[in-house]
Amino acid sequence: MSIATEREIAARAKRPIRFGVLRQMVDRRSDYLYVLPALIVMMIVIAYPIYYTIELSFFNTPSNLQMKDKVFIGLDNYARILTSRSFREVTMNTFIWTVASTFFAFLLGLGAALSLHREFLGRGVLRAVLLIPYVVSAVAASYVWKWLYHSDFGVIGALAVQFGFTDRPINFIDNIHTVLPSLIVVNIWKEFSFAMIMLMAGLQTVPDQLLRAAQVDGANAWQRFWHVTFPHLKGVSMVTVLLLMVANFNAFIIPWIMTSGGPAGASDIWITQIYTIAFGRQRYGLASAYSVILFIVMMTLGYFYVRALTRGDDTRVK
Amino acid sequence: MAQVVLKEIVKQYGSLYAVNNVSLTVEDGEFVALVGPSGCGKTTTLNLVAGLLPMTGGDVLIGDRNVTDLDPKDRDIAMVFQNYALYPNKTVYKNLAFPLQMRKLSKAEIDTKVMDAAKVLDIVHLLQRKPRELSGGQQQRVALGRALVRDPQVFLMDEPLSNLDAKLRVQMRTELKRFHQDLKATVIYVTHDQLEAVTMADKMAVMSGGFLQQYDSPKNVFEHPVNMFVASFVGSPAMSLIPLEAINTGGKIALSSSEGWQLPLSEANSKKAQTASTSKIVLGARHSTLQLHKSKESNSVPGRVYTVEPTGDVTFVQVFLGGATVIVSLDPSVDVKSDQEVWIEFDQERLHLFDGETEMALTDP
Repeated sequence: MSIATEREIAARAKRPIRFGVLRQMVDRRSDYLYVLPALIVMMIVIAYPIYYTIELSFFNTPSNLQMKDKVFIGLDNYARILTSRSFREVTMNTFIWTVASTFFAFLLGLGAALSLHREFLGRGVLRAVLLIPYVVSAVAASYVWKWLYHSDFGVIGALAVQFGFTDRPINFIDNIHTVLPSLIVVNIWKEFSFAMIMLMAGLQTVPDQLLRAAQVDGANAWQRFWHVTFPHLKGVSMVTVLLLMVANFNAFIIPWIMTSGGPAGASDIWITQIYTIAFGRQRYGLASAYSVILFIVMMTLGYFYVRALTRGDDTRVK
Repeated sequence: MAQVVLKEIVKQYGSLYAVNNVSLTVEDGEFVALVGPSGCGKTTTLNLVAGLLPMTGGDVLIGDRNVTDLDPKDRDIAMVFQNYALYPNKTVYKNLAFPLQMRKLSKAEIDTKVMDAAKVLDIVHLLQRKPRELSGGQQQRVALGRALVRDPQVFLMDEPLSNLDAKLRVQMRTELKRFHQDLKATVIYVTHDQLEAVTMADKMAVMSGGFLQQYDSPKNVFEHPVNMFVASFVGSPAMSLIPLEAINTGGKIALSSSEGWQLPLSEANSKKAQTASTSKIVLGARHSTLQLHKSKESNSVPGRVYTVEPTGDVTFVQVFLGGATVIVSLDPSVDVKSDQEVWIEFDQERLHLFDGETEMALTDP
């Protein structure tokens, strides 16, 4: 650090305040220089697409026209979506898909984490096996499950027949009533390992002495879980559920590869629907409006969730 | 309250013996400290008494019951842990009520007992707070309350004071002692701090390497340590131990150092020295039994001052002597400096002799 001369100090004092911010930027130009590459990338891949999507959502983009010939139609796209029956159906599907997947993936993950927390023979192997769904590529897994579910050649249907549950193979994913639950099962299978890892990490933070104290106090295994372990897992559970919810709202790979939203839209969720509108029907304006709605819904949910999370922190500090 | 008997208890992890054949009896209403360095098996012993660990062998009796195969909750014990182990999500009231709830007592009964315990420990004003809103001393008191509320046969305490700062520790030490005296409780108390054991316990069990080294009153352990380990562990500063060679000088024994000086032993000490298995003898002396002279005196041996540590009341001087370091306590007014030549005089009545091979104390034949 150099010592400023009196003249410099006087010059600084004379400098108008409105140049303060700019001046600071110039003074600290090297700092800005370091974050500039990241900033530019963010502007190009995040900020600009968001802006363009919002802009596009006010235009009609008929598939027979070039993009430069798009027609401004104001809020018509939004009105069309919000009044359509398909939007309600897709939203319902998305809701069922997200809640069911998140709930059961979490529950299964919790069960797995708790059983793997104890010492037993083959624990390491079992843990590795249970991690497989998480590390397997979602695309590959989707194709495998598609074949497992296949109405003619699927091994699940064949086994069901062999064990006498049904007389003929079950039509899992070509039936509008069973397709969504079938996809949710795949999703749970894929996601529960993630919940398991998170909760296993959470379990490590439960102090051993606390469990011993509860044991001496007369708590049985269930009471120890309920009074000691579970309260300790609250934080990590909130984060896990949040991350699972976001992932499920934005899910694409499994439903798209396995059914592409079919049959008859029975497994269509927001993202697959947007994809179909945009790249199937080439209605970019409509798809953009859809995306903006989803964006707003997600941000609202996210806001409330983060607030709930941090409010907990505040009371904890107080 | 009840008597606790440990009969030849053993805890083995693979080929390692964490607790090796420990037997001791804690009388009804007695405060017993299990003391020893880290990894000596003291906490494991306590956990075996609590039933938190399965035993490899031996029996634990509480009162007249053999509780060896009982769960912790059926042993009628209460435990206080090092980091208090309070339930962080529960208020102080609910922390105290928890063990009673688990025993399915009625709401009214729970309330009476919790309030009684809270009054005894002076924590009534804290009942609605969460543990994280309490100071270390208050948390400690709540932990004690949670044990007290149960009215158990035995209190088991696992280093309950070691998380407190030095000043509070001394204060809680006196409170704990008072607590024990008022309740006439049977307490088994684990600590690595021998000072805690000496100040609080009726009897102390010194452990090392899974073995019970000595089980006696603090006074006896201090004055008559059975081996070199106990001698060096109990007392602060520790007993100075000097490895020497016994030589026979016409009926009497003298201890000879590698530095060339000899220390003739008194008749009683000579007899003790003669029981040693070899000529290797370790001389032990507590700082307060040694006298430091600035010039040569009869019966004194030469050494050199290493460091001088004034503590206010006394000054501890470390002296290099016979290849070992000896600690001498001095009046602060005595002026000695590092590297100064000094002469140390041993008190024949109060020095300790140990067998250099077996490390056991040498006693009258």
